[in-house]
Amino acid sequence: MDKIQKPYMNPYLAGFLLGLVMLSAFFVTGRGLGASGAAKSVVITTVGKLASESIADNPFYADFFSEGPGPMKNWLVYLTLGVLAGAFFSGAMSGRLGFKVDKGPRISSETRLIFAAAGGLLFGLGAQFGRGCTSGAALTGMTILSTAGFVTMMAIFGTGYVIAYFFRKLWIS
Amino acid sequence: MGPLIPQGFVNADLNLFFAFVIGLGFGYVLEQAGFSSSRKLAGVFYGYDFVVLRVFFTAAITAMTGLLFFSYMGWIDYNLLYINPTFLWSSIVGGVIMGFGFILGGFCPGTSLTGAVIGKIDAMVFIVGMFIGIFIFGEFYDVFEPIYTGSPLGNIFVYDSLGMGRDWFAMMLIAVALFAFVATQYIEDRVNKTSDIEKKARPSYWIPSSIILSAGLLLILLPSQPRSSWHETSPEKLLKMMNNGEHLVNIDEVAYSLVNGKDRPVLLVDVRNPEVFNQFSLPGAINIPLEQILDHRYDPILRSSEQKVILYSNSNTLATEAWLIATRAGIKDLNVLSGGLNGFVQTIFNEEHLADTYDLNILQQARFRDKVKNYFLSGKAAPETKSAVTPVIKIVDIEKPAKGGC
Repeated sequence: MDKIQKPYMNPYLAGFLLGLVMLSAFFVTGRGLGASGAAKSVVITTVGKLASESIADNPFYADFFSEGPGPMKNWLVYLTLGVLAGAFFSGAMSGRLGFKVDKGPRISSETRLIFAAAGGLLFGLGAQFGRGCTSGAALTGMTILSTAGFVTMMAIFGTGYVIAYFFRKLWIS
Repeated sequence: MGPLIPQGFVNADLNLFFAFVIGLGFGYVLEQAGFSSSRKLAGVFYGYDFVVLRVFFTAAITAMTGLLFFSYMGWIDYNLLYINPTFLWSSIVGGVIMGFGFILGGFCPGTSLTGAVIGKIDAMVFIVGMFIGIFIFGEFYDVFEPIYTGSPLGNIFVYDSLGMGRDWFAMMLIAVALFAFVATQYIEDRVNKTSDIEKKARPSYWIPSSIILSAGLLLILLPSQPRSSWHETSPEKLLKMMNNGEHLVNIDEVAYSLVNGKDRPVLLVDVRNPEVFNQFSLPGAINIPLEQILDHRYDPILRSSEQKVILYSNSNTLATEAWLIATRAGIKDLNVLSGGLNGFVQTIFNEEHLADTYDLNILQQARFRDKVKNYFLSGKAAPETKSAVTPVIKIVDIEKPAKGGC
C-alpha cells in the first residue's frame, strides 16, 4: 500500500483553478457548482421506484417529477459524474488509489466509520435546509455574492470551530 | 455573450455534456488539492492544515472577481445568473447542522465524492449517510417545511444586506482573504512547530497577492459600467441598415397584422413618454420610453423571437432614434412603423372616401382600410388596460429556486 505518492497541489494554485472552473460554469450555464444535488436525485429516484405512492403528496419529492425528464437527467447528476471521473483520474495520476480509512490517531477504524456515517447523515439533512452544501450554497453563493452564501458559509465554519474542541479526540492526538 | 445556455447561444442539449466537462475539472482540482483526505480537511478546525480555507477562499475571490470583470466588459449578463435565494433561518439551521456534519464526518458532499472514488472507505460510508439524511428530510418534510420556506428574503446580495457598494465589498473580501492566508499560516506554523528552514523553503506569495489586490482596486476605480460591447452593431453596418430601410414597416402591413396577424404576432412598442402614451396609443401597444430602451428589464421583450417588435412614435423621429440606439447595442430584428402614429391615424381613420376609380388595387386597399377602421371603431381591438410591463425572463434549465439542491 505504500506507493510513492505525488505531493498535493499548491493550495493557492488549486483555489485559482477551482475559481476558473466555477467561472466557466457560470459563463456556460449561468449557475455555479454543486455536489449534494445529485445525491438528492438518487434518493428521490429510489423512493420513486420503491414507494411511488408517497411521491405525489410530498412537495419535496413531487417537485422533481412534475416536469422535465425526471430527477436523474439533470445538470447536477452529470456534474457529479464528471467530479467522480475527474477525481479518479487525479488520484490515479498521483498514485493515491487504494482502499483505506483516513482517521485521527486516537480512534479505531470502526469508530471513524460510525462518525463518518453520522456526519454524512447530518450533511445530507443540513444541505436540504441550506439549499445546497459547501459547494452549492456556500462557495457558489459567495462567488455570486448572495447573502445566503455568506450566511451558510459562516454557519458551517462557525459551528465547526465552536464544537471542534469537544470532538478533538476524533482528529488529533 | 454569456451565460451561453440560458441565452440560447449553445444548444440546451449540450447542457449535460458541459455539466460533465465542468465536473471533470471540479473533481480533478478537489482531489489534487488534497480534499479526498478527511484528515487533511479536518485540519482547518484544529489548526494543523488550513488547506480548506486556502482553496475555498482563493476559489471564491477568483471566481467573484472574474464574474465582476466579465460583467463589466459585457461578456456575461449578471441578470441571467442564478443567485442562491436567501431563506435566512433555513440557511442558518442548515449551516449549523452541516457544521456538525463536517466535524463528525470529516467531509463535505463534494469532497466525499472525490475521496470515495479513489478508495477512501470513510468517504463511501459518508455518502451512504448522506443518502439517509436526505431521505429523512424528505420523509419529515411536513415538519421541516416551516423552517425551510420561512423568512424568504428573495435573491438578495450580501453587499445590499450590509449597505455597501458591490465593488467595495469585493475589495473588502479580497483583503479579508489575504489577511486570513497570512494569519492561518502563522497559526499552522505554531501548531506544527514548523522549522525556520522549512519556512524559508516556502514559495513567496507577494506576486499573486498583489495581482488580486490590484484587481480589487481596479474594480473600485473603474468608471461605471459600459453597456455590452461584445455584440454591438458597428456604426458602418448601422448606416447601411438605415439606408436600406428594411426596418421600416408600412402602415397597411401593421394594420393587417393587427387585424389578422396570427402567424407571428406583432408587438407594438410606443417609445413616447408615458403621459402621451396614456392619452392615446395604438391598440395593444406597450410603452417603453426612449430613454429606457436599453433598460435590462425590457431586454427579453425586445429580443423576443416569437413576436415581431415594431417601434413607433408620433412620426418617424423618436422611433428611429430608439431603433438606432437598440440596434447599436446589439438588439436585432427591430422594426419602425413608417409614418408613425400620425401617419397611421391619417391613413386608417381619416381616409378620404375615394372617388370612383377603376384601379382595383386602390379599391382593395381602400376597402381593407375601411375594414381596419371598423375593426378599431367597433371595439374589437379596444386597448387593454395599460399597466407597467413586467417582463418574465425565460431562463432555460434553471431549476426553481425553491428546489434548492446543491
